Amino acid sequence: MEIEIQLTPGPIAENISPPPSLGAVGAWLEFRGVVRKEENEQTISALEYEAYPDMAAREIRRILESLGVKFPCQAAKVIHRVGVIPVGETAIYVGVASPHRGEAIALLAEFMDQLKQDVPIWKRRALSINPIRDDMRSLTPAPKESETPHVVSCKSLDEALAEIRSHGQPLPAVRAPLAEAFGHILRETVCAPSDFPDGDRSTRDGYAILQNDASGIFQVVDTLHAADWKPRRLKPGEAVRMATGAALPCENLRVLMQEHVERDGDNIRITKREAALNLRQRGEDVKAGQPLVPAGARLDAGRLALLAAAGCAQPLVAPRLRVVHFTTGNEIVPPDQTPRPGQVRDSNSILIRGLLQKFPCDVVQAHLPEDFEVAKQLVSTFNFQPSTFNLLLISGGAGVGDKDFTRPLLEWLGFEIVFSQVNIRPGRPLIFGITGGASVLASQLVGSLAPPDRVRMAFGLPGNPLSHFVCFHLFVAAALAKLTGAEPEIFRRGRLAAKLDDPPCPRETLWPARRGPAGLHPLAWASSGDVTCLRETNALIWVPVNRGPIESGTEVEFLSTD
Amino acid sequence: MRILFFAQLKDATGCDSAELAPPAPLNAEQLWAELLTKFPRLAAHRASVRLANNCEYAAPDAVFGAEDEVAMIPPVSGG
Repeated sequence: MEIEIQLTPGPIAENISPPPSLGAVGAWLEFRGVVRKEENEQTISALEYEAYPDMAAREIRRILESLGVKFPCQAAKVIHRVGVIPVGETAIYVGVASPHRGEAIALLAEFMDQLKQDVPIWKRRALSINPIRDDMRSLTPAPKESETPHVVSCKSLDEALAEIRSHGQPLPAVRAPLAEAFGHILRETVCAPSDFPDGDRSTRDGYAILQNDASGIFQVVDTLHAADWKPRRLKPGEAVRMATGAALPCENLRVLMQEHVERDGDNIRITKREAALNLRQRGEDVKAGQPLVPAGARLDAGRLALLAAAGCAQPLVAPRLRVVHFTTGNEIVPPDQTPRPGQVRDSNSILIRGLLQKFPCDVVQAHLPEDFEVAKQLVSTFNFQPSTFNLLLISGGAGVGDKDFTRPLLEWLGFEIVFSQVNIRPGRPLIFGITGGASVLASQLVGSLAPPDRVRMAFGLPGNPLSHFVCFHLFVAAALAKLTGAEPEIFRRGRLAAKLDDPPCPRETLWPARRGPAGLHPLAWASSGDVTCLRETNALIWVPVNRGPIESGTEVEFLSTD
Repeated sequence: MRILFFAQLKDATGCDSAELAPPAPLNAEQLWAELLTKFPRLAAHRASVRLANNCEYAAPDAVFGAEDEVAMIPPVSGG
């Protein structure tokens, strides 16, 4: 039997056909399970489903295969939607093809019974609300980004990124109080628990009347201040004094601006009629059940405020990361020292620390001497031991021999090297390694009591600062996104505001640029040793292999670095 | 050993997963003992939770090793 299984966060298509490879089948039986408007005797607006996707797909396949023996069918297609599903929309679709209807009907019936017993999918919660008014205007869709997201098509850069993304898994999520969640990655989509605003609210100081009340004179029957909640039905000819922001006493009202009426004791007379309703309608900002902040989003001040407004006081977020960063090489001296001839000041330590600021993390930094044996000794007698860590970064020195140093050190620490070169400039000698837990490092550096996280990642970064900058934004950021469950940064399209004057190069190039209102300005840059362009860089332009000079006005792909 | 929590078990534990580093493979009884020490609120769910090992329901005599992905499956409600 041909089997197709999908778990999808989006709506399930209206029309689904049997697999074309079957040709004409005798029966194509379709079933759609739809979200009911009542759940446990409550009126609801949506159901939120959760799945253990790998196992769910496996269980569905197992059930179908065993039923296929009992009821010979040609094909089965199962699509289960997960996440928030509004009332009336399809939660599960099953299509079964067979030569005659009997087998398909029998298989479908047994399949649904077994699915409800064994497949790890859950109705996580019902989003319940009062019915929403029919005349609610539809919400405007979110504005589209002017720069279209685009995945880099270049193979070797793609390959390196794919390798990084295929290793490891997001660290276990934790619940954190809002005050401690700033900058963390949200790991569970938070939906609006109720309509915002939760009822019609006045946007003016004035008088509420029935929307189609044609009276000229009204009796003022009540006064409402901003925090008042006094529901009542208005009759024609009645008005309620409203303060700006106050909740209207019932639905289908409008607010007359106080400037447009004359008041005489308990009565008002309209002096000017206008079309505006002067109110914020219930659910105008967001309706109950709609996603407020999606999983994978970085929690900035605005999003945290939104979570607070939704009553999500302990969001599920990625934990604080622990990062160890070693610099290497005898030619490196601290910034406050004067380098002797042949030496340079260490700018990479502060660069890495700065770049890591975007991710909540604890960073431990140390300098390793160039002699491998001494370095190993230092690493194993580390006197500022973190209990454990998630990411190891080693900055190669600019001196001779550093390339041979990082790799053996990583291997000695128990890392498996996944790749050690990427065909890009700057940043070609990039090393990426992973380790599964038990390693020399785990026992010697970390101590054996702390449970190790399942996978750690390590990068050997080529020595100069610009290579660090490029490799961090391309590769380390991808690893951090993987570990935290963040939406990965993506290349976008933009236009050159000036010519990018570069002869054809056999490597893909990440060209430093300044992104401004007029487009992308390529910055002066001749070799990976140049550092002054770091002052202005806020984007990296991707230049394909052998592309050569690119004229001003040409559309290019770039990665934002600010 | 990675332990995954789903649905109401996420609320009970306050997290979606946890890492255990048992010195030797555990049977179901020993695994529960470890988990209940770490997450006492799981106790209320014990009777209804099924264990899965690497995406398959575990047999009563299954053992769970350091490299396994173990899922705590509360009663399902898909469809």
